[in-house]
Amino acid sequence: MATVEVKSEITGKVWKIETKPGDRLEEDDAILILESMKMEIPVCAPADCKLVEILVAEEDSVSEGQVVAIVEEE
Amino acid sequence: MAFEKQIEELEARRAKARAMGSPKRLAERKAAGILNARERVALLADDGSFRESGLLATSVQPDHKDKSPADGMVSGYARVGGRLVGVNASDFTTLGASSAMTLGKKQAKIKNDCFKNGLPLIQLMECAGGRIPDIMGAAGIGGSGERGEINRYSRIRTSPALAAVMGLTYGGGAFNCINSDFVVQRKGAVLAVSSQMVTSVALSEELDPEELGGWKHHTQTGLVDAVADTDEEAIEILKRFLSYMPDHAGQRPPLAPVPAGAEENIKNILNVVPESRAQTYDVRHAIEAIADPDSFFPLKERFAKVAVTGLARIGGEAVGIIASNPKFKGGALDADACDKITPFIVLCDSFNIPIVFLADTPGFLVGQESERKRLPGKIMNFMMALELATVPKIALILRKSFGQAYLNMGGGKSDHTATWMSGEISFMDPAVAVNIVYATREAADPERYKDLVREVAKDTTAYDLAAPYMAQEVIDPRETRQYIKDMLAVNCRNLTGGIGEHRLANWPPAF
Repeated sequence: MATVEVKSEITGKVWKIETKPGDRLEEDDAILILESMKMEIPVCAPADCKLVEILVAEEDSVSEGQVVAIVEEE
Repeated sequence: MAFEKQIEELEARRAKARAMGSPKRLAERKAAGILNARERVALLADDGSFRESGLLATSVQPDHKDKSPADGMVSGYARVGGRLVGVNASDFTTLGASSAMTLGKKQAKIKNDCFKNGLPLIQLMECAGGRIPDIMGAAGIGGSGERGEINRYSRIRTSPALAAVMGLTYGGGAFNCINSDFVVQRKGAVLAVSSQMVTSVALSEELDPEELGGWKHHTQTGLVDAVADTDEEAIEILKRFLSYMPDHAGQRPPLAPVPAGAEENIKNILNVVPESRAQTYDVRHAIEAIADPDSFFPLKERFAKVAVTGLARIGGEAVGIIASNPKFKGGALDADACDKITPFIVLCDSFNIPIVFLADTPGFLVGQESERKRLPGKIMNFMMALELATVPKIALILRKSFGQAYLNMGGGKSDHTATWMSGEISFMDPAVAVNIVYATREAADPERYKDLVREVAKDTTAYDLAAPYMAQEVIDPRETRQYIKDMLAVNCRNLTGGIGEHRLANWPPAF
C-alpha cells in the first residue's frame, strides 16, 4: 500500500471537512470542500484509498498545489 | 500422397514458428498471468478467422535466423465481431519483439493494407526497443530511415488505429501506440521512449520502469486513453472502442439498437444537477442520464478530470461528448483540459462522429501556472480544431458558460447552440466581473458590492442569449435527450451521406 499526498488543485478556503482519518474512500469521493471562485469545490480522493491524515482545518486558506491530506492507496 | 514430405516440412516449419520464443519465457509469462502474442490474437479474433502473414519470416541476421520465429511479430488479418481488421501482435519471447528489418516490414505491411483498404488496425504492443546488432552503427540506424512504408510516421486518419500497451513497450513499439487513435494500457505494462537500462547509463537516473511509463504515470501525461487490469480486459476495451468506430473515414459509425428504458434516465436529470450555482456536481452523472444506458465510454478518464471526453450513443447513434466537470476545479478549463479535448475533436471529426458539448464552466483557469503551461496556445489549438471540424456539432449550456470558454465549448461555434433555462452567459462570472468593471472589492463595501453584482449579472440569462437568436432554443433539462436526438437528425449531412471533410485527418498524434 502506497502513501500518497493529496494536493489542492486550486486556491481557496476550506469550507467544510466531511471525512476523518480512517475513512475508506472511493476514487473521486470528496475529502473536503473548498470555497473558491464563488463555488463549493471538493478536493477528491485520487484513487480508492484509506484517509490517513487531514492537514488543514475549516476556514484555512490553501493554495494551488498545497498538500491537504494523506491517503493510503489500496 | 503426392508432396507428402514437402507438406510435412511445411507443417513442421509452421509449428516451429507458432511455438514462438523459449519455452522458459513462455512459462514465466503464463505463471504471471500474462498472455502470449498468439493467445492475445486468439482472444481478439472471432474463432478461426485469423489469417497470418509472415509466419515463416525470420530475422535477416544469419545468427538470429533460427531463433526469430515470425521475427517476433504475429501479423495478419482477422474478424472482430464480424468486421475485418489488420492485426500486429508483438511476441516478446522472441528477441523482445525488438525493432528489426523483417519485423518492421511485416508490421508496415499490415498497416499499409489497413490504411489502403479502409480497415481498422489493431496493434498489441510490446517492444524492447531497437534490436542489437541490427540497429548498431551508422547503417543500422540509417536503415531505419529507409525501411518500411511511405509516410511511416504520418498519421493520416483514413481508418481507425487502435493500440494496446501489453508489456514493456519502448522505442518503435511506443511510437506505434502514440500514432494510434486509441491506446489502452494494461497495468504493469510500460510505455516509454527508452527503458530504465538506457536511462540509468545515459543519465545516471535509477528509475523504476513504472515511473518511466507505467499506467499511473500516464494518467498525468494523457497519452493513454484507458487502463485495464488484465490482458483479457485490455482486449475487451479495444473491442468496445472499435464498436463506436466506422471501418474507415468514408463510413459513418455503426448504429446500435436502443436499449429498453433508454428514455427513463433523463427524467432524473433534475436530481443530478443542483440548482444553486455555488454547488458542484459530477457531470458524468448528467451524461449517463442523457446517453443510451451503459453506452458512455470515457477516454483519458483520470487525466485532466475537469474535462470529460467520451464516446456514447444517443438513440443508437455514436456521438462524442465533451463536457466540463464542475466537480473538479469547479469546471474551470486548464491547459491539460485543452490537451485532452483537442485530440478528441480530431478523433470525432476524422471518423464522422457528431460532437455534443455540455458546458458548465466559470471559464478558463487563469493564473501564473496556466500561463506557464502555455494556456493561450492550448486554447487556440482547441479552438482551431473546433472550427475546422465539419462533423455535426451541438452545444448545450447547462448552467454557466463564461468568456472564451463559452466559444471553446461550442457556444455559437456549433451547428446548434441551446441552453437550459438555468444558463448564465457573459464575459466572466459576475462576481469576478464586478471587480474589473467597477474596480471594487467585496471587503471594501459589501452592500455596494452586492448591488453591483446584481447590475453586472443583468442580461446574462438564458433568455438573453435566446433573444438575439444566439441560442436557438432554451430547454428544460428533461428535454435534453430529445433535443439532441432531434438535432442529430437535422444535422444528418445528407448531401455527403453523413461524411465530413476530415480537415483534421493529419493533425499531430500527440500534444
